[in-house]
Amino acid sequence: MVELLAPGGSVEMVEAVFRAGADSVYSGVKGWSRRSKKYEMGDEELKKAVNIAHDYGGYLRAAVNAMPKAGEERMFVERLDFLYSIGIDAIILNDIGLMRITEERYPDLKIVASIGASILNKEEALLYKESGADMFVADCKMSIEEMMEIKAYTGMGVEVLIHANTDFTYLGRCWMSSYKALRYEDLDGKAYYIGSPNRGGVCFRPCLFDWRLSGEEIYASHFQLPNDMFLLLDEIPEMIRRGVDCLKIQGREYSISLIHDLVDVYRRFIDEFAERGEVDVEAYRGELRELAEKRDAERLKRTLELMKVARGKANEI
Amino acid sequence: MELTTNIPNLEGMSECSIKPYDGIYLGMPYCWEYEGNFISNLHDLEAGIEILRSLKKKTYVTTFAVPRNKDLEKIYRLVETVSDLCDAIEASNLGIIRYLTKEYPDVKVHAGGLTNIYTVSTAELLYSIGVSRIVPAYELSIEDIEKMKDVGVEIEVVVHGKIPVGIGHECFLKRFSKIVGRDCPKICREEMYFKSEDLVLKPFGHATLSGKDICMYEHIDKLEFADAFRIEAVTERIGYRERVGSIYRRLIDDGFSRSDFESLKALSENGIANGYYFNKAGQIYVSR
Repeated sequence: MVELLAPGGSVEMVEAVFRAGADSVYSGVKGWSRRSKKYEMGDEELKKAVNIAHDYGGYLRAAVNAMPKAGEERMFVERLDFLYSIGIDAIILNDIGLMRITEERYPDLKIVASIGASILNKEEALLYKESGADMFVADCKMSIEEMMEIKAYTGMGVEVLIHANTDFTYLGRCWMSSYKALRYEDLDGKAYYIGSPNRGGVCFRPCLFDWRLSGEEIYASHFQLPNDMFLLLDEIPEMIRRGVDCLKIQGREYSISLIHDLVDVYRRFIDEFAERGEVDVEAYRGELRELAEKRDAERLKRTLELMKVARGKANEI
Repeated sequence: MELTTNIPNLEGMSECSIKPYDGIYLGMPYCWEYEGNFISNLHDLEAGIEILRSLKKKTYVTTFAVPRNKDLEKIYRLVETVSDLCDAIEASNLGIIRYLTKEYPDVKVHAGGLTNIYTVSTAELLYSIGVSRIVPAYELSIEDIEKMKDVGVEIEVVVHGKIPVGIGHECFLKRFSKIVGRDCPKICREEMYFKSEDLVLKPFGHATLSGKDICMYEHIDKLEFADAFRIEAVTERIGYRERVGSIYRRLIDDGFSRSDFESLKALSENGIANGYYFNKAGQIYVSR
């Protein structure tokens, strides 16, 4: 059966997503994941989150998917030892070098190659597999044929984002935010780059600025570079039939109630499909549309906050 | 110290513009469809290699930076064609790097800047499978890059030119073909920028490049630990490659010149920046 993976941006969110029917949850390790530290967890919170997951018979994946600073490998190993000791079920990594370290140290720990790894083809996936990865997160622009070709070639599990955003760049190959603005901080001895999604801080979403295309003349103005949110629905039955292993809802930064309701809709959708072999898609579309509106409002508020920080008009992220 | 640059097609190969350089990367890695791109025109590529050989330059061939499954065979054909002819093949995709090191163990492999090499452990992994040179992730600071030197792998760093700040699955510029009145590939020849507030970006194939020219002329001594300095000029006119290359050649041979530095600034349409070398936003410039 396909796994429904939900975000755990706080201990309360972890509880909520399992209550709504998630099979597993992912939570960021403070200073080490691709989100603001506001939505990551410290050691005690992680312990609680693991316990909640296991109490529900579910799993917890620890996200360590920001690129550390060169030479922070020793610090990474300390974090890894801690995470293993508290019983995480899998680790989400971006850096292939860290995967090899993890595989050598804890060969029984499941490794998921993050969306930030931007795995684009089967040969690339194979190198990740050889370095320890068991599963990869498919890029949002990847067709199901490409995913299945990679799965057949490597034997890796496939995870698909069903709630996320898709940019005009590959997610792990974008530095526009840190080109615009970057703040360097020390977080308990760990380098923390605010403004670099790859290196742990937030993305300031410069793609959503008001752009113009300028050459000999101004050819176009008042447009945004593509950065679109999506909620998959119609595609899910085929994904399950074809062998996608995990469906992931992104959104550690959203409200707990919104994420709870999203998990609830997808849980019922997947269960109906599992039970009947088909599903009345239209019955769910309206529910998702309402949730998408709520999500868009939350996202807009967050985007404006981030842009203020990028412009130096606010500090809090 | 090796001084390198990149040339997209035969049209860009003038003897004068190549002269200041020790090594040349042939091909434009951001788009198959770029006019005359060596990576899509293997006869031109062989001719380009011959020219570099006759000029006694180190000859490197680059590959498409973001290949999907459907692109792999095309790249394999390129590799088969040039593996005996060039001094190294550059790849920025870990799949191509894997293929090269497994199938062509005698060919030198350079990992390009889009490979996303952020950590010492990734540099070690690539070195262990046979990669001989890396361009560390553009987002790294000097202190980060220097730590990779201990791995034993050769380090190449961009000292001048426009670096990628993003790459995706499509050419976004194509969407503006009608408005601009140019189709692909002609639209790429236009001097065009995306602009917003203080940000200037250059769309180019699947990539989006820094609008400013990364310039480490004033700070070159801080990068002396590297094995090669790269002038990124794949999007530039021949004269730019020649003039910038000559200035850095003089810098390496004779030292700093205020007038040369002023010339570099004058050559940049949108100003200069240090990229990420000083742990600051990529578009910032820090004076010496």
